[in-house]
Amino acid sequence: MSKPVPLVKLDEKEYIAAANQSCQGCTGASVARIVAKVLKDKMVRQEVACCGPAFGNLEQPSIYGEVFEGAGAMSTGLAHAFKRMNREDAIVTTIVGDGGTTDIGFQGLSGAAERNENVLWICYDNEAYMNTGGQRSSATSKYAETTTTPVGEFSRGKKERKKNVAAMVALHRVPYMATASIAYPEDFIGKLEYAKNIKGFRFIQISAPCPTGWRFEPQYAVKIAKEMVLSGMWPLYEVINGEGFRITYKPKELKPVKDVLKMQGRFRHITEDEIKDTQDDVTAYWNRLIAKDGKEFF
Amino acid sequence: MPEKFEVMVGNKAVAHVVRLARARFISAFPITPQTTIVQYIADMVANGEIDAEYVTTEGELTAQASAFTAGAAGVRAFTATAGPGLLYMHHPMLATRNNRVPLVMALMHRGVKGMDPDQTDMMAQRETGWMMMECESGQEILDTGLMAYKIAEDERVRLPVIFAGDGYILSYTDEPINIPDEAKVDAFLPPYKTTIPLLPNQGPESKAYQMKAWSVGRDPQASFQDDQQAMENAKKVIKEVNAEYKKMFGRGYGNGLVEEYKTKDAEAVIVAMGTIASTGRVAIDRLQAEGKKVGLIKLKTIKPFPAEEFEKLGPKFKAMGIIDRNISIGSGGWTFGEIRNAMYELDERPKTLQFHAGLNGKEVRVQDIMKIGEKTLKAAGGAKVAPLVEWV
Ligand SMILES: Cc1ncc(C[n+]2csc(CCOP(=O)(O)OP(=O)(O)O)c2C)c(N)n1
Ligand code: SF4
Ligand SMILES: [Mg+2]
Repeated sequence: MSKPVPLVKLDEKEYIAAANQSCQGCTGASVARIVAKVLKDKMVRQEVACCGPAFGNLEQPSIYGEVFEGAGAMSTGLAHAFKRMNREDAIVTTIVGDGGTTDIGFQGLSGAAERNENVLWICYDNEAYMNTGGQRSSATSKYAETTTTPVGEFSRGKKERKKNVAAMVALHRVPYMATASIAYPEDFIGKLEYAKNIKGFRFIQISAPCPTGWRFEPQYAVKIAKEMVLSGMWPLYEVINGEGFRITYKPKELKPVKDVLKMQGRFRHITEDEIKDTQDDVTAYWNRLIAKDGKEFF
Repeated sequence: MPEKFEVMVGNKAVAHVVRLARARFISAFPITPQTTIVQYIADMVANGEIDAEYVTTEGELTAQASAFTAGAAGVRAFTATAGPGLLYMHHPMLATRNNRVPLVMALMHRGVKGMDPDQTDMMAQRETGWMMMECESGQEILDTGLMAYKIAEDERVRLPVIFAGDGYILSYTDEPINIPDEAKVDAFLPPYKTTIPLLPNQGPESKAYQMKAWSVGRDPQASFQDDQQAMENAKKVIKEVNAEYKKMFGRGYGNGLVEEYKTKDAEAVIVAMGTIASTGRVAIDRLQAEGKKVGLIKLKTIKPFPAEEFEKLGPKFKAMGIIDRNISIGSGGWTFGEIRNAMYELDERPKTLQFHAGLNGKEVRVQDIMKIGEKTLKAAGGAKVAPLVEWV
């Protein structure tokens, strides 16, 4: 079980370049910054195509595979090599976007999870293919406008629900699966600390709002992440060994989703009916999670 | 001590390569006619003959990409595939080359159309920058696999390599195969070392590696120049390794790049690869018994393409009949184009005839190759022959 870790405990050393190539207000870069500080000199990274390489970490060893679909595969190779070399002190880490996790990289993710590879997979979820200009992914929320789900006379944005990759990974019964949010760094660091100290396949999907793709002013990135948690749109939980399910942060009362939707340009077009549809979905799912809290996941 | 020998199929010879080379990371996904390789290796791992991480992946892309990073991290790695599996590996094959990981892959040719063998699978990977060596027997598979590791890992090369054989024909044909002694192979093949700093705490070295990988502060074309140079270097290294192997184990394959068979007084030659070269040897014996001056050139290494060898061979003959068990639709046979290209600057060059044979598993018989020889000989005599491109 993870325990929140106060921010002050974070290593002062910086690993990612202060002037990196990410946009202003990029919370993906904040994810990379925190992960680096928690794993320190134990981290060996495997990078694929996404905004990740723009987060500017040249301090910890990395191999970039140019293989967008290959995070599961390439981290598998590293993990086995280090085992053979008696260097399991190295923590094989892959910081991958939602596209490289839920879409093109999904087969490799499932393969690595099923084989219980000794890999830590951090998915920073900005809900679209941001590096190529904000096209929909299966992690995009319903009604969101993206560059491939534009709003028009015959289109209301994305038609489908967000794919629930967290639950799917947990169903592989991996040692650790958690969701996190950049607005709750103590919770995230606690989960990283827990994941760091165990072996096998570990997966954390962290909500990382993208000002560029979601269309809001950079200073609201963390605020939006926080409102997503407070409205139940982004529940924070963990599943250990595919069994023990625990919500790690429970807002006393959920805020309506409308407020957080209205803060983002990608939902500018959303109607009251569509808000209600989203609200019903969020409420129903939250109630199902609450009913499971502290119990078996499946 | 004499070498042990066993009657076995080519696929089993591949498993012995993995055992003898002491590969420590193996990943593969089954596909006919490679499948029994995966099974022989599994048996050897299960009974302790091979001591390695053996990952049965969920597909070929993962098999290739995981072997790539295992090799990058620091262990000798191996994978094997055929036909569609090789096509599916294409993307990470380029990453393997870009990062200069000397990975070794066995390929049992399977065409890209049906299940039968031809070399269109490998042709589709021509531009990946992998070295490619072709084998004609199970013995050659075993020997080439071991040489492949040494060539790939040479510091002048550091490129990945495919060693290939015609699927089915070599996969499943039993033949007596000599198995080199382990201690001797250890003496031949030094332990694996990586050049990529991936372990923790290598500070400036890993930073420098990443900067280079991203071409920071570097001519963006420089890495291509480096890789091209490595391929050029490989020509020399292949010859050296082939000679050293011959000295240690008593078997070599021509000069490692090409082999001439009964070309001494030949006016015309046939050029062939893989098992077509075996059939070709019989055809040449028969033609020469009839007094016809036709010899054979077996092309062993196709990447790097041994252009200099053909510059030397070109003037010796009046005509070359080039057999391709492959085609690039819209341009023609792989070796036909390469050979003509290599001989372009020669003052005196032979006539070249193109033959497509054995595609999609079509049987290539001795009499087919005899006909090819006769036609090539006619052209050598100055006769006009048609068509210049023939489907056998
Ligand atoms: C095989 C392949 N297909 C497409 C691309 C183009 N591409 C690069 S990054 C990217 C999107 C990445 O999305 P995600 O994983 O969510 O990361 P993000 O960009 O949002 O950080 C795409 C489509 C590619 N590099 N490789
Ligand atoms: S597009 Fe979004 S995820 Fe990518 S660097 Fe910019 S803010 Fe970060
Ligand atoms: Mg994304």
